Amino acid sequence: MSDAAPSLLSINNVEVIYDHVSLAIKGVSIEVPRGGMVGLLGANGAGKSTLLKSVSGLLKTERGEVTRGEVRFDGRNIDALTPQERVELGIVHVLEGRRVFEHLTPDENLVAASAVRGGRADMLRNRERVYGYFPRLHERRTAQAGYLSGGEQQMLAIGRALMTQPRLLMLDEPSLGLAPFLVAEIFEIIRRINREEQLSVLLVEQNAIAALEVVSHGYLIENGRIVMHDSSEAMKKNPDIQEFYLGGGAARDFHGIKHYRRRKRWLT
Amino acid sequence: MDWTLFAELAVNGALSGLMYSLVAMGIVLIYKSSSVPNLAQGALTMLSAYIVLAIAGALKAPLWLAIPLAMAVMFGIGMGIERVALRRLAGRPIIMILMMTLGLDIFVRAATMTLWGGTARPLPLGISDAPLFLGPLLLNRAYVVGALVALVLFAVFFFFFRTRRGIVLRAIADDYTASWSVGISVERGVALSWAMSSVVATAAGVLWGSIQGVDQSLSQLLLKGIAVAVLGGMDSVGGAILAGILLGVIENTASGFLDPLVGGGSRDLVVAAILVLTILVRPHGLFGREDIERI
Ligand SMILES: Nc1ncnc2c1ncn2[C@@H]1O[C@H](COP(=O)(O)OP(=O)(O)OP(=O)(O)O)[C@@H](O)[C@H]1O
Ligand SMILES: [Mg+2]
Repeated sequence: MSDAAPSLLSINNVEVIYDHVSLAIKGVSIEVPRGGMVGLLGANGAGKSTLLKSVSGLLKTERGEVTRGEVRFDGRNIDALTPQERVELGIVHVLEGRRVFEHLTPDENLVAASAVRGGRADMLRNRERVYGYFPRLHERRTAQAGYLSGGEQQMLAIGRALMTQPRLLMLDEPSLGLAPFLVAEIFEIIRRINREEQLSVLLVEQNAIAALEVVSHGYLIENGRIVMHDSSEAMKKNPDIQEFYLGGGAARDFHGIKHYRRRKRWLT
Repeated sequence: MDWTLFAELAVNGALSGLMYSLVAMGIVLIYKSSSVPNLAQGALTMLSAYIVLAIAGALKAPLWLAIPLAMAVMFGIGMGIERVALRRLAGRPIIMILMMTLGLDIFVRAATMTLWGGTARPLPLGISDAPLFLGPLLLNRAYVVGALVALVLFAVFFFFFRTRRGIVLRAIADDYTASWSVGISVERGVALSWAMSSVVATAAGVLWGSIQGVDQSLSQLLLKGIAVAVLGGMDSVGGAILAGILLGVIENTASGFLDPLVGGGSRDLVVAAILVLTILVRPHGLFGREDIERI
């Protein structure tokens, strides 16, 4: 809300309704400055993913709709654009739960995501850049993505998003189910990309402590409403946040254990 | 046992099986690019044969011209199916989409019946009826041509799915939402897969039409196509080829020995048995991908 150039992303008073009846977001406003790194924190069901979908345009596929307010990107109202047009503008959404293309290799995952930009040479250069950030992915580039570890899949999901050459990277709970050292590693890489490429980042997390280490500002969302907005330093000291973190961080360790089960597929 | 007869049944079965692969390949193309099992592939095969005849009749065009023209028309029809019938169903439960393809099948069969009636029409490709001799074995020339076409198409699609566009289509089949999230036009990808499949249907329709005439029974190739596609693994082009050969051999040899005993008509029984057994014993087929599930 400064007098200078408008924020890269401004969400103004947005309300989101699913299935014409269920109100998930109740008038939320968020700003992501150019080159900034902003956190959005909140518990299960608070509306974090819904908000990201309202920016990436993926609401429509889930029968959700922005019924009030507007989303502006780079000063322009984008509410009428398709998901594809938003990616072309430079918005990319890394989905909750990683969602890599499981039957493709990491190489192919990255190729698939490069469809919107440039020729083959661009694509290859871009892919090497991604592998530069995630050397571990490079080692596994020809494995089947579905069998990568959770951390590798998260790296692949982020790398795949980077292939679209975004200006705004939105991450939905990248720490989900990952060991703390991996979370730190991935967040560090995100911060590096943010610094080196001026990529703006909107980071959605339940893991408040880890997130507040890397973002400069944070928003706290509860029940579809923003209930707090402050610098990360101030938020870290806030007793409510500390309680929220302790309450929300405990019961998730089982995510870290990974097993594979093969399910016979297309009949199910 | 008469080994020459057996070998002849087996080889001709393999060849006709490759022609089933043509139908299966259309099903696989769509499944591999959008995870939709297309129950209208038989009807599209029949429709394409009628369109070849209609173009040849209306333009007085020779078949070598009418066939590529029909392929172009079918390409457009494939795109149109996505636009009209499927776009609004993207992301909906697969059962709805499956029912839509069934509706499409019924619609196309009813429409062709209304337009062109029920009498069989010849579609002469000019392939000689005289058998081809392979040592002591007699081969059906029409089947040889069909088998070659199937192998060529296999090679084309084998490479296609390794190109950038092909990879995008496979990505769509894996996850629509993730595809949207990185800017892939899912709608256009699905349309392309239906268009390609409709062109393959034209190849199958012409070859089968030249063998058995063009009438409603062409749409029953769906049974063979589905059986081959399922046996091959639904999303494997190579699987469709090998499963076609396998199914053709089993069908032809088994019915060759069963028919005299039961007085004919055991072909479809054999095919249906293979379909049912595959689903029971190995639902992802010989070469299909399995779902990877983390727990
Ligand atoms: N597709 C949908 N249809 C109907 N309601 C939905 C849908 N998706 C989410 N909701 C509802 O909207 C609210 C917000 O959900 P959302 O997924 O945005 O929460 P979240 O903050 O991302 O939670 P989590 O941390 O568990 O991912 C919830 O009440 C949820 O039940
Ligand atoms: Mg969420």
